[in-house]
Amino acid sequence: MSDEFERLVATALRSPVGVDARSKALVMEQVRRAAAQGYPRRRFEPWSRFARHSIAGLAFAAGVGGISTLSAVLPAARADNGRGVSSVVLGDTVVGALHDTLRLVRLMFDAPAARHVAVAGDFLGSSSAAAAPLSREPDGRRWSITLALRDGEHRYAFVVDQTRWVPDPRAERLVRGDDGRVYSLLSVARAAN
Amino acid sequence: MSDRAIIQRVLSGDVEAFARLVDRHYERCARIAVRIVGNREDAEEAIQDAFLRAFKALGAYEERELFSAWLTRILVNQCRSVLARTRRRDALFPDLDPLHVDFAIDATGMDGDWPELGRALAQLPVEQREAIVLKYADDLTYEEMAKVTGAGESALKMRVQRAFARLRAILQEVPSV
Repeated sequence: MSDEFERLVATALRSPVGVDARSKALVMEQVRRAAAQGYPRRRFEPWSRFARHSIAGLAFAAGVGGISTLSAVLPAARADNGRGVSSVVLGDTVVGALHDTLRLVRLMFDAPAARHVAVAGDFLGSSSAAAAPLSREPDGRRWSITLALRDGEHRYAFVVDQTRWVPDPRAERLVRGDDGRVYSLLSVARAAN
Repeated sequence: MSDRAIIQRVLSGDVEAFARLVDRHYERCARIAVRIVGNREDAEEAIQDAFLRAFKALGAYEERELFSAWLTRILVNQCRSVLARTRRRDALFPDLDPLHVDFAIDATGMDGDWPELGRALAQLPVEQREAIVLKYADDLTYEEMAKVTGAGESALKMRVQRAFARLRAILQEVPSV
């Protein structure tokens, strides 16, 4: 700053303006209302991370081998009788009713050569949980994870060795997202009794 | 607790943790908004909208950017929206001179020590006012200002220089300065 005038202006601009506590309280009231409406929306993070992986990584992952039996949520899962969690095994899928809107869904994925398998989906509640890892089954071939999901449609895909994006080929529906990736659609709904 | 740690708590479901971000950044936002939009009423609206938008978009917040810078960018956009609405209002009511409306004068934030500066700021072109406020009310570097405003650094330096020149010209006409 070149002179006294500019110094005075700068000092005046830096001076506090005073804050009305009521205004801050109003902010939080609006925030609580927004939270009740489901905000903040979670960003579906994995895409950008996986996009950074190299072609070499993709080529390596291509050797994972056959991916055969995958998950599907079957719509005819039987609801529980109100005594807590119960599960119904239907083919490759376990669906259990936790309560009216939250259900256990077990996803399974055959990838014997994989070193790591995760599922990425819009059901992941925290931005820090970019993808949820699956556990390898004792048979060494199958990977699985059990999730508690709300009723509705969910987008998801498997991620093999942190590089290979694999939509579930056995899913009834696939959709292309805004980012150009293909996702499987998972429908979770109250089962008919 | 850092801003990032608070954001993680909010994203994990602790909505009330957001109040700590409001406490931490509200005064700084007020200093910026009051001086850009020129009155406290509109400034508070811009600030509230900015915090609400930040909360709603928190899942998209990129940790490589400082939360304060991200929030400032949202705030400046909200101030611009408020100013655009004010211009439409002024077009509808051309006889309403904001410099002679009580709240506009009282809410400059410099009412006690240097009220003429508030009035002079209101006469600057918006982009000059925005530049000088971000530079001195928020102590941003030109690089940071460029990220907030979307303008180039050289353009911002020019705006600050012109803002000072204009303020000097306006305030020289005021006997008390």
